[in-house]
Amino acid sequence: MRRSDLSHRPLRLPRCVRRLGVVWLALTLALTAQAQARTLHFAADTEPSRALTIYGVLDAPQVRPLLSDFHRRHPDIAIDYHNLETLALHARVLQERDAPRADVIMSPAMPWQYQLANEGLSSTVDSPAAADWPSWARWRQELFGFTFEPIVMVYRRDLARHMTPPQSHADLLSLLRQHPRMLDHRVVTYDPRRSGAGYTYAIEDARISARYWDLVEALGNSHSVLETTTAAMLEGLSQGRYWIGYNLIGSYVQDYVAEHPELVMVVPKDYALVLQRLVMMSRDAPHPDTARRFIDYLLSASAQRLLATQTTLGAVHPSVDGAGTAADLRDRLGEAIRPVQIGPGLLATLDTLKRQTLLEQWQQAFDNRPTHADGPLADPSPLPDAATE
Amino acid sequence: MTLLRRWRLSHLSLYRRLMIWLFCPLAMLVAIMLLQAWFASREAADRAFDRLLDAASLSIAEQVRWQQSRLWMDLPPSALEMLATDAEERVFYALYDAQGHFVTGNRSLPSLPPAGVGQMSYGDVLSRGMPLRLGVLRSRLEGWDRSDRFEVRVAQSLEGRQALANQLFLASLVNIVIIAVLAMGVVLLSARFALEPLTRLRRAIRQRDPRTLAPLELALPRELAELRQALNELLARMRRVRANQERFIGDASHQLRTPLAGLSARAELAIRQSEPAAWRDALVTMHGTATKTARLAGQLLSMTRLNNPEAAPARRSVDLAALAQRCVRESFARHYRHGIDLGVEVPDHPVMVSATDWQLEEALNNLIENAALYGARQITVQVTDAPTRLIVTDDGPGIPESQRLLVLRPFHRGQETGDGTGLGLAIVDSIARAHDTRLLLQTANPDHPERPGLCVVLIFPTDH
Repeated sequence: MRRSDLSHRPLRLPRCVRRLGVVWLALTLALTAQAQARTLHFAADTEPSRALTIYGVLDAPQVRPLLSDFHRRHPDIAIDYHNLETLALHARVLQERDAPRADVIMSPAMPWQYQLANEGLSSTVDSPAAADWPSWARWRQELFGFTFEPIVMVYRRDLARHMTPPQSHADLLSLLRQHPRMLDHRVVTYDPRRSGAGYTYAIEDARISARYWDLVEALGNSHSVLETTTAAMLEGLSQGRYWIGYNLIGSYVQDYVAEHPELVMVVPKDYALVLQRLVMMSRDAPHPDTARRFIDYLLSASAQRLLATQTTLGAVHPSVDGAGTAADLRDRLGEAIRPVQIGPGLLATLDTLKRQTLLEQWQQAFDNRPTHADGPLADPSPLPDAATE
Repeated sequence: MTLLRRWRLSHLSLYRRLMIWLFCPLAMLVAIMLLQAWFASREAADRAFDRLLDAASLSIAEQVRWQQSRLWMDLPPSALEMLATDAEERVFYALYDAQGHFVTGNRSLPSLPPAGVGQMSYGDVLSRGMPLRLGVLRSRLEGWDRSDRFEVRVAQSLEGRQALANQLFLASLVNIVIIAVLAMGVVLLSARFALEPLTRLRRAIRQRDPRTLAPLELALPRELAELRQALNELLARMRRVRANQERFIGDASHQLRTPLAGLSARAELAIRQSEPAAWRDALVTMHGTATKTARLAGQLLSMTRLNNPEAAPARRSVDLAALAQRCVRESFARHYRHGIDLGVEVPDHPVMVSATDWQLEEALNNLIENAALYGARQITVQVTDAPTRLIVTDDGPGIPESQRLLVLRPFHRGQETGDGTGLGLAIVDSIARAHDTRLLLQTANPDHPERPGLCVVLIFPTDH
């Protein structure tokens, strides 16, 4: 098993940790393996200049087209973009809560970002674009999901020689049950204990279907490999160590698959989780005016078209269609599209006890311990009286 | 002062008064209703949204159990989603153990005093500068060996309930405004209808011929019927006054025409004659007639002056005794020439009355003249104190009792003999009325049937 150098936390959490995550682990949504510049700077071309500071979890290749387009439209704004890891970003925002330095905060870690907004660290963006933004992709007028990134499966093209490649969660489960030997150590997925993203998908998967636990059990039976980043999984798949990857971030996969024809990306047909990058303006932002302009720009049709064409992030704007847009994905998959809801349900994800409960349940299902073989609802350590009922 | 006057209600029209008295309470009523609606809508919204806190905390409490020797909870995301309505409220939750130690949650929340057995307590709190509605559910583990108490605290921001409250209030506001507008319309209409008879009365009065004094014939409500009756009584009095005036004018012109016709006839007769002696006779006769006519004219004038209600001459304090003495002194010589014994009896101290002196003099002169004209030989003027009286007694033929009221009317003469104008006693009567004095006509000497005489008494009011 390949160990990510970013993962270094013990399996079981210390008990009384309640400030989610600093101890948690390095959230691995950002492909930090590809070493990128940590900051981008665009100087203002005209005087007087105004400043804009952005904290984001988006690597230079993805963010540069956006920023330079914005800079072309507003040459008077000097942009400082800080690329951070999700938990570092979250910690930094909390640390600066009384005197924020960032005007705009963008993060794909939806529960964390939602928690910041729920705490009142965001501020309302009053603009027609913000008000018209689809309600399923925003919370109040403070938090906006501006990308549309499905969580996908990836398989090697030569898998088809042995079996029908999976097109859905149900397919994957039956493959694992039918070919446990052939797929032994050949399936890779996120480790929810070590990866925040993996944990988020696990909790969403579990909410959508109780059969998820059968899938975890099957994954455990075939000794699936657990990774902490999409990049590591893609690398293993490309090298042929793994045949099937489950729950990978679509936006990274899309890029990678384009250069690696031996891999095929599948958006599951029964349901596909969709991740959205959430952007918000800081409460007491030092430059609220430029922040508002930037968010307005992100939500504009032109920026969304740029997201659809020049990046793999996926556009949300209803008027933008074609490949790489929410509209396109919905057309192809219809009801199967399940964007992670931007709502207080995300707070439950961050609950310490909830996390422990879920991870234990996951561990038990994965390890396939006999005491927990009776399904997902079995209590890991049942109360004495509960056992009698 | 001017402000007070401006606010005095007596200046306002009846319609305005009605409006003020109806609209002020109406406005107050509307204000009270609005206030009540405001509080009611807040309360209703709170009740509705508190149900959410209730449901969410129950659903959280169900998941609390004892695990790994501590309170444990598998937080259901739906419980939190329940708390966020369309208004997308901020949501906070926390689990506390019996000792008040924070177990889990996304923010530490304060506790609230218990509301009652098995009941949730609700309260508005301010948490890190954020106004929140907090619900605290006290519960306990239901197990055989453990029954630890714990508290589930959930809170949400207020946008949703405020929106609902405003919506409810707006609905009540619309209702109240509609009711108020209807009420105002009804008030306006009813005031108009109630005051309509008044308008009719006003029109009826305005449309009348100014010369007519006929009574108003108009169907009116009871309150105005009284006014109409009073008006009709006034009109009736005016009719009588006018009839009197017309008769007076007719009598006066008749009285003046007769001597003037006489003068004209006598002059014509004299012109036809050529003897100076006849001229002289005619002139003497004409002189007598002219004098009489002049006196008549003078008396008519004073009668008119006395009857003029617009001219109320100022009263002064007058010594009645001195006045009587003066009058007698002035006319004594004239009457003495005609062999009339004119005397005066006054107390030796002044008798003061509030009066118009020239009117009293005129009355007294008229009484003396009258007595002389109707053949008195002896006339006595008396002034008495306590009661204050002015008495003129004569020994003339007197006035029979049946005639005594009639002689007070102008141009009524007690008898056709004599040179009286028929105005003397009427003038005295008018002056007596003007001074609030009682006028009594009595027989002066009842033992003397041929010449009973007349005693005229003017009794002044006691406070003078």
